Amino acid sequence: MNLKTKKKIMPYLFVLPVLILLLIMYGYPLVKSIIMSMQDYKLTSVGDVAFNHFENFKKMFSDTDFLLLLKNSLIYVVISVMVQFFLGLLLALCLKDKFRGRGIYQSIVFLPWAFSSFVVGLMFRWSFNGEYGVVNDILMKLGIIDENVAWLGTPGLSLAVVIIAMIWMGIPFFGIMILAALQSVPEDIYEAADIDGCGMFRKFFSLTLPYIKPTIIMTVLLRTIWIFNSFDLIVIITGGGPVNYSQTLPSYMYSKAFSSYDFGLASAFGVLLIVILGIYATLFLKLSNYEKAGDF
Amino acid sequence: MKKKVLSIVLAAVMTLGMAQICVAESNDSKEFEGVSLRFLDVSPSESRQAYYEEAFAKFEEETGISVTYESVPWDDAANKITVLGASDQLPDVLTTHSGWLGQLTGSEWIIPLTDYLGDSTEEYTTAVNKLFWQSEKDRYGDIYTIPDGMMVKGIFVRKDWCEELGIELDPEKGWTYDEYFDVVKKLTDPEKKRYGVSYRGARGAFDPLMTYLQNYTGGNTYDSEGNILIKSDECLEAFEKWTGLYLDGYAPEDSINWGFTEMVDNFIGGLTGTLMNDSEVAATCLANMEDDQWMVMPVPKSDKDGKLYNLINGSYSLSISSDSENPDAAWKLIEFLTRTDNSSEYCRMSGLIPIKKDAAEDEMYGEGGPYYTFTMQLNDPNLVVPATMGPFDYTDMHQGMMHEEIQKYLLGDEDAKTALYTIADELESRMKTYLEEHPDVQVETALTMDD
Repeated sequence: MNLKTKKKIMPYLFVLPVLILLLIMYGYPLVKSIIMSMQDYKLTSVGDVAFNHFENFKKMFSDTDFLLLLKNSLIYVVISVMVQFFLGLLLALCLKDKFRGRGIYQSIVFLPWAFSSFVVGLMFRWSFNGEYGVVNDILMKLGIIDENVAWLGTPGLSLAVVIIAMIWMGIPFFGIMILAALQSVPEDIYEAADIDGCGMFRKFFSLTLPYIKPTIIMTVLLRTIWIFNSFDLIVIITGGGPVNYSQTLPSYMYSKAFSSYDFGLASAFGVLLIVILGIYATLFLKLSNYEKAGDF
Repeated sequence: MKKKVLSIVLAAVMTLGMAQICVAESNDSKEFEGVSLRFLDVSPSESRQAYYEEAFAKFEEETGISVTYESVPWDDAANKITVLGASDQLPDVLTTHSGWLGQLTGSEWIIPLTDYLGDSTEEYTTAVNKLFWQSEKDRYGDIYTIPDGMMVKGIFVRKDWCEELGIELDPEKGWTYDEYFDVVKKLTDPEKKRYGVSYRGARGAFDPLMTYLQNYTGGNTYDSEGNILIKSDECLEAFEKWTGLYLDGYAPEDSINWGFTEMVDNFIGGLTGTLMNDSEVAATCLANMEDDQWMVMPVPKSDKDGKLYNLINGSYSLSISSDSENPDAAWKLIEFLTRTDNSSEYCRMSGLIPIKKDAAEDEMYGEGGPYYTFTMQLNDPNLVVPATMGPFDYTDMHQGMMHEEIQKYLLGDEDAKTALYTIADELESRMKTYLEEHPDVQVETALTMDD
């Protein structure tokens, strides 16, 4: 092997171990789930696995709750991401300037991100308990409600509780990311803006936002994907109930896989999620002009 | 002289024979010395783990067989067993639940125990023989599990609330469903944060309701041709009466999403006045409530025929997996765990009714004992154990459709008839498919103590 060929191969050899790992950890499960989505694959009868073409997809799209699941997923993701973003941004702006006790305050407000979903789920389940929950108690004392509200047993409200829990848990992530981005904005541009007579809002919209745009785009993209895929809070707080009013596509997929053991149907849901998120990521990066973001 | 020699020889032969027997017995008990087994507990708790680990140490001392205790939380147990079964990695001995037997036997993940049991079946109570094993034989063609104790349903009642309201209840006399519903109504007082019933709205919601519906079908689920029997005006009325407990406000609104944990927690916590559940809950009540706060009433008798329809189950029956390399050693372990001394200790800890005849004379289970109502029901000549929902796998329905249809009705999304008939039609369709695939199978009927 001559030096030229060696030089050509070398980078690929360096990448090879990671590539092999990726293929094993992600490639195989991905391909396997696509194959399973076209099979009658039930864990209770693994000996009778056979291809059933697109039967699982037909079953999925004809599920009477499919539109409800899709609607719930969209509501869950859109509201969670939007509120998390605005509150995270607000938090980051508050923490940008130094003040006495900032370190302690910062540690406290970032704490929810460190909690496990299980703990957060249990906390919200008890807080929103219809009879003993602290939320009903506070609302009663404030005179907002005059009788207990069955948060977890009422369609619409049960999903709202899950969304509130998700928002509470996710604000710190946006806060951390945006704060890091804010701290990297050079101070001198603000000084120049001051000399030019820029107001607070002008500085924010014309300087700060464009500077932190790449971070915002990446964070929104990541959080959307994570939230869309997450089902732990739903399973712990409401179990998807009552009926399927707080169920989303991933939590329904989970219940099909691990309650009904219908891995074929669950894989069909998995493939649908890949497609939805793939389209979303492509469109989002294109529309947000990510490649040019941050160029000045 | 001859006699003397003969007697010495005979004595020597006898001594030698005795010594050989002793060695043989000792060898027999240590037949599997060095073998190690895996044991899976599907309902772990600190006390259960402590009990099993102590029992396994004793077992190893006696037999030389070591046992590793493994556990999986109850909520994940069915999943874990399915995964282990599908990958041929089931432990030697596993605790199972009757609801999983269709899947476990259908997939041949556990082995029949009839040959191992032999004549020892006589040592077990009539209820184990005539109700439990008979049902397994009818459904799966063989005996696959040994119950660790009998699980009998009863109605836990807030004794103090009843006394306060002047409601007199006598377990010996029993009650009918209408009388029970009446007590539920009287106990309800939302102002005081008191509701009459711990209503099960989530997973498992259809189970107690089905038993109530079977009060109107003689305890059967299907006729001999597989037609479901709960599609009748009488059953529809019963369905509405049962769900009326929730709709009319005798249960907390949140209970539409309650499972086992919430039902028990809210009874013990003082939110609800009655709770229909298995005898195992008695252990929780004993640990968390004062004696004058609670009592157990039998399951109500049918308003139609006066029979006592009650589901009797083994709680977490013991079975041997087909993956076991040492099924004989595994059976030794089951024999050891079901031995009277060990079984009684276990039942006291778990709140179960003992499985062996000679273990039943315990103060806990006799008159005045906390489990008396349960033992009493087992001896009631009117006891009928209703047929199950079918020999086919209905896990997916149990985990979804069954409670979802009822919830839809409770939320006003559909009417009672649609909810009941949707579940009934699906069960009937599966039963008929099963009968087509298994033409020799007899449709299971309700069991009585006279069978």
